[in-house]
Amino acid sequence: MVDGVTLRLTDGTLAGILGPNGSGKTTLLRLLSGTRRPSSGTVRLGARRLDQLSRRDVAQQIAVVPQDTELAFEYSAIEIVLMGRHPHLGLFTVEGPDDIRIAQEALAATGTAHLADRPFHQLSGGEKQRVVIAAALAQSAQLLLLDEPTASLDLGYQLEVSSLLKRLNRDHGVTMAISTHDLNLAASICRELILMRDGRVVATGPTNEVLTPANVRLLYDVEADVHVHGETGHMTVVPLRRIVS
Amino acid sequence: MKKQLLRYPLLAGLIVVLAAAVHAQQAQRIVSLVPALTEMLYAIGAGSQVVAVSSYDDYPPQVKSLPRVGALLDPDTERILSLTPDLVITYGSQVDLQAQMRRASIATFDYRHGGLDHILTTIRALGQRTGRNAEAQNVISGLQIRINAVKDRVMGKARPRTLLVFSREPRALRNMYVSGGRGFLRDMLVVAGGVDVFEEVGRESVQATTELILARAPEVILELRPEIIPAGAELDEEMKVWARLATVPAVKNKRIYFITGQQMTVPGPRVADGIERMAKVLHP
Amino acid sequence: MNIRRRIATVVGAFAIFTIAVLVFAPTVGSTSISLRTAFDRSIAWDNNVDAQIFFVARLPRVLSGALVGAALAAAGVVLQALLRNPLATPFTLGVSAGGALGAMIAISLGLDLGLLGVSSVPIASFTGSLIAIAIVYALASSQKRGLSTNVLLLAGVTLNSFFSALILFVQYMSDFTQSFRAVRWMMGDLDVGNYVPIVAALPFLVCAFAVFAALPRTLNLLTMGEDVAAARGVEVTRAQRWAFLSASLATGAAVSLGGPIGFIGIIVPHIVRLMVGSDHRIVLPAAVLFGAAFTVLCDLAARTVMAPVELPVGVITALIGGPFFLWLLVKRS
Repeated sequence: MVDGVTLRLTDGTLAGILGPNGSGKTTLLRLLSGTRRPSSGTVRLGARRLDQLSRRDVAQQIAVVPQDTELAFEYSAIEIVLMGRHPHLGLFTVEGPDDIRIAQEALAATGTAHLADRPFHQLSGGEKQRVVIAAALAQSAQLLLLDEPTASLDLGYQLEVSSLLKRLNRDHGVTMAISTHDLNLAASICRELILMRDGRVVATGPTNEVLTPANVRLLYDVEADVHVHGETGHMTVVPLRRIVS
Repeated sequence: MKKQLLRYPLLAGLIVVLAAAVHAQQAQRIVSLVPALTEMLYAIGAGSQVVAVSSYDDYPPQVKSLPRVGALLDPDTERILSLTPDLVITYGSQVDLQAQMRRASIATFDYRHGGLDHILTTIRALGQRTGRNAEAQNVISGLQIRINAVKDRVMGKARPRTLLVFSREPRALRNMYVSGGRGFLRDMLVVAGGVDVFEEVGRESVQATTELILARAPEVILELRPEIIPAGAELDEEMKVWARLATVPAVKNKRIYFITGQQMTVPGPRVADGIERMAKVLHP
Repeated sequence: MNIRRRIATVVGAFAIFTIAVLVFAPTVGSTSISLRTAFDRSIAWDNNVDAQIFFVARLPRVLSGALVGAALAAAGVVLQALLRNPLATPFTLGVSAGGALGAMIAISLGLDLGLLGVSSVPIASFTGSLIAIAIVYALASSQKRGLSTNVLLLAGVTLNSFFSALILFVQYMSDFTQSFRAVRWMMGDLDVGNYVPIVAALPFLVCAFAVFAALPRTLNLLTMGEDVAAARGVEVTRAQRWAFLSASLATGAAVSLGGPIGFIGIIVPHIVRLMVGSDHRIVLPAAVLFGAAFTVLCDLAARTVMAPVELPVGVITALIGGPFFLWLLVKRS
């Protein structure tokens, strides 16, 4: 349940939607991707309203990376990435050389080109997630929405994926919005944050302005220290103790 | 003279004693689960000794007023016991029921299907169990006379190869079961002067597919219908269905017949009726 | 990689195999016939037994087998994708139970209502299937958010149980012969002996197959999950509806033509996937072709192995299906 949300994502940003479980992050993401309709208000992409676009049109503009990908059947990595081309293909059209090139570039961009023909279920957690990101990239969309992209990954893979996302945003100009409950992930890669609690947005703005101990307390009932590394501007959040109210 | 006169009361006494002994063996309260055997009982005059019949009995008409006790798959043991029978006629496969009757010390007569001869021997056996040996013999003789009459009539004549159809889907030659060279219906066919087109298969029933019928090319097709023979437009439809098998001699020569009546499907005393009707059709 | 070429090559290979089977099957049977005689126009039709066996007994049988096999295999593929479950079969959602109930009632009552040359049992069976489809669809659509595959599955399984109970009841009330014939129908029978039932089933099969032709890439996406599919541009509810209705229609038509022949709808999709992967653009047409060939071959075995006695084709598919499943189970663990 999400209520009373007004927000704006600027082109080229890497935004984080941050909040505890149940704060409405996933719902917000669904609203942004058009898979849920708001009961009041509108969601716009550029100047156009999402609910007036067909799913196909939406998919050409917005790509989603889900939290987990469970496949009922075996597909190879390249097959999965090629499925991202669906919104650009007609009903009976088969992927042509351009589509294949885009898919291969997407795999290369996520460092998984060498895994193209491997069965998906044989890949490691990090590799799987990167392939799924490549599939979203192959959609050639303006906006990438990611739902807890590192939640189920080991630390090493978390680093892999988060640095990939940062690189895609910085070097390839991909606009992204990431929903996460991982403060440090948000701190390390997001340029701006949208803080949510109980279905409402409690703060938005550039990361270094919004990620304050006061806001952490507001969101998580946790007393925390927020450090900024002098050189890199890299922020980290260190939780100290729980506040029992 | 006096000695001779004395002999009669003695003889009479002996007869009374013997009769009583035999009477003790005669079943007086019979429950019959097998319709064919019910018919036999009535035919040999033991109808008054029948107290209950199966759910499927409906001949002779007298049975309609009798209580029903289930059938092959669902015999109502409680009901049977409540009627205090002294003989229960069961199917050979109803072993549970037979065991229960044994425990209740009730005699059973266990019947299994057989050929034409078996019908006659069963009538004889029932005669013994009911004390109606003479009547049973009469019925058997009567049947044999009629059977032999048919045999004589058809002797020497060419026997048409016959497809004897038990059942099939209406208006389609599908799910069709026919005689396969064994059983009382096949025996009836043989007596009536025909030969079963699936004689060498040696089974009571065979599923006849289109290919098999075409390959075996029967000269006569006899369809058994328990209740009503198709007539008018319906008959035309059924003939059209067979007409597809144009090379079959029975089709070409229009020797496709429908025979109705339970005499055709109940291996009982009306079997001679069935044989006579078959013979009339096969050898007009 | 050239996807179009790959699809064409693989499907082409299956097509060649299937055509070979379809050409070969009518030439073999429990009776030996001479093909030359069968095709000899100079012999009068009602004197040419070989021709009759070929054109009246075997050819319709092979055609029915091919259509039923193609329909059930394709329906299996579509439903497995729709329900995201490789164990789904065309019979999972209650369509064949409805068909069986219809047929059973027709057999027990000895119904005789032919329509346009088609006899009562196929008509009753198809009607039963349509009723089952309507019930399951209505139940699954009653949720506000489009078509729920969970509810679809539950409704289908429930309907299966309910119809099976009714079938038992009808069997119990029938007499022995009717019961036997009903059970026999359930084992499958492709001996149509006639082109009319095939022609009657054709419009429904053609409609279903037309929808199948447009589904494959959508099916690929649906198997990734509803949300992902929607995010990639699939109108999920609409796609699910088309998938369910077309697969169910194909199943209903197949069951009315040849009875509920089991295992085709699950063995063929699995075998095909083992051979060609999971891209439905290849799997679906390959399953259609292989399903046809597989069923025709099973029926060939059924009608020759114990000649002149015939085995029901459903028995042959079950004999193959049982060990196949054991093997699948072992392979997975």
